[in-house]
Amino acid sequence: MPLLRHRQLASLLVLALAFSLAACGSKRRPPALASPEAITPGPSETGDMMPTQPIDEGPDVLAVEGEYATGSDLEADYATTFEEGSPLPDIHFDLDSAALSEQARSTLERHAVWLQTRRDVRVTIEGHCDQRGTVEYNLALGEQRARAAWDYLVSLGVAADRLRTVSYGKERPLDPGNNEQAWALNRRAHFSVSQ
Amino acid sequence: MPSSAPPTARALLALLVLAVAVAGGSPLGSAPQEPVEQIVIGGVTPRFAVPECVPRTPDERTQQACRTITQVLRNDLRFERLFQFVPDSLLAAVPPLDPDNPVFEDWQGIGARILVITRASIANDELTVEARVYFVDSGQTMLARRYSGPAHNPRIFAHQASDDIMTLTQYKGVARTRIAFTSDRDSTAEKQSKELYIVDYDGFNPRRVTVNGSVNILPAWSPDGQSLAYVSYRRVTPLVFLARIFEGKSVPNVTAERGNSQAFAPAFSPDGQKIAYASNRSGNMDIWVANADGSGTQQLTTTRAADTAPCWSPTGQEIAFTSSRTGTPQLYIMSNDGLNVRRLTRVGNYNDACAWSPARQFSEVAYTSRLQSGGFDIAVIDLATRQVRQITRGRGSCEYPTWAPNGRHLAFSCEQRETWAITIADREGLSLKRLATGPGNNVQPDWGP
Repeated sequence: MPLLRHRQLASLLVLALAFSLAACGSKRRPPALASPEAITPGPSETGDMMPTQPIDEGPDVLAVEGEYATGSDLEADYATTFEEGSPLPDIHFDLDSAALSEQARSTLERHAVWLQTRRDVRVTIEGHCDQRGTVEYNLALGEQRARAAWDYLVSLGVAADRLRTVSYGKERPLDPGNNEQAWALNRRAHFSVSQ
Repeated sequence: MPSSAPPTARALLALLVLAVAVAGGSPLGSAPQEPVEQIVIGGVTPRFAVPECVPRTPDERTQQACRTITQVLRNDLRFERLFQFVPDSLLAAVPPLDPDNPVFEDWQGIGARILVITRASIANDELTVEARVYFVDSGQTMLARRYSGPAHNPRIFAHQASDDIMTLTQYKGVARTRIAFTSDRDSTAEKQSKELYIVDYDGFNPRRVTVNGSVNILPAWSPDGQSLAYVSYRRVTPLVFLARIFEGKSVPNVTAERGNSQAFAPAFSPDGQKIAYASNRSGNMDIWVANADGSGTQQLTTTRAADTAPCWSPTGQEIAFTSSRTGTPQLYIMSNDGLNVRRLTRVGNYNDACAWSPARQFSEVAYTSRLQSGGFDIAVIDLATRQVRQITRGRGSCEYPTWAPNGRHLAFSCEQRETWAITIADREGLSLKRLATGPGNNVQPDWGP
């Protein structure tokens, strides 16, 4: 069964690929941002892979004065990609596991098809965990979950340079509750789509 | 400076503390509120008398400063659990103190052996505090110091006096130290954020450090206390940032991750020259080390398992870390070049988040350990005997320990009633206290210099 489905999927992907190549003619990249004033990213900043962040990132840290300073909030003026309205539904994981379930694979296969028809978008795959593990263990687990999804999407023909992985560990739970339902919801890979 | 203490008095007290450390019985079996270590003079426990600070002028502002100094100094000196104190009720029985000519017989009469006198005055918005410490029996001065500075935070004067008094013992005081942590208090309904804060060791004076509205976690102090390394998501991918917090400047992506690679869990070496961290740059989460400016990155672990959460030994020669190479997360130790890896924890099926005691007196590593109940507790393993002692017990879930710079206390975060708070215990697990560090969930403490 899975083999058959893979084959069907593969031919579908080839079709989609051919269609989109013919339709687009040439692959468009977002124009490079001329930003001499920008906080200079390192030489290896991810600019080639993802759209550059807004030019003025705003401050990272507040100057703390000696012993007496009290911080005041400065305006933070940058866009996030944390919107939850992704066209690509989350996939979910078992406790302490980064293994893709049959259902998760099936979801990722649909994601791959959609991504081949929307070659203008890029995806950040966020790995999330429930709150029952420790901070750093969960960051490693979230990384493995995101990478598992990344690996599978790439194996289905999605270009690797359109995908990025980010582990959030237990730092950004979708449901802050402390119960089985919330935990299950939070053990997920989320697909944040940007153009 | 500490050097102002008469050398003979200091040597004497240090000797006495050492003598007790050798002779002292096990504190574990005794009542929880007993000091775990005491100074003994001639077989008798000397008791401190810390009478009220004496204002040099009667104005309300000076009196208020004096009240703060008295209270903070007493709290600071009690915190280390090294000293005993004359009860407040007995202090009231002593005739009014003439700070220029203390009548030592008065203080002997209530059992005091060490007398701490403070005076304060405010002129032109500048606070001046004098502190004198005497041996009551001989009237000998052990310490005499004057402090001056802006008048709006008298607490720091008491903290400095406490740290100077601690120079008379074998331990460095921590009253002026700060704890960095992560808080979600600035989150809104529309946007979850985590920002870094620092707070005095006693929970007072919280100050915000990061202001970027993203997720900022895992703060790690540089040994000089000027910088925090941390992980920020403001460029979406989690990267190590380095902030010089008193200048308000930060360097993003210090370890120069590229493409898809992420970096976590930075930790400065004790000499401040290196940063150990976890990165998936090789395609798998491993321990890496770089120079403090990010140059010279070097991969230390190469297993297929996730290796994370490095911490340095006090000499900088070794690094402990968490690895899931046997199937469950456990602590390991390796040389700082990645060689000579050996497993440290063998009790429990889930151990993470090492913190190596910086004190030369104690050779031990604190970490987070999962219990059978599913919650987490703080544990400490003695490196010589491999014996494990549990620091927290039945306080909800606790994790992420960090040592006070003198190794006598631990800070960590505990969840109680659905809220995480920075919590402090001494190294035996006694005198647990939640710090009032402000609203929100406050987690991932790092105790700085």
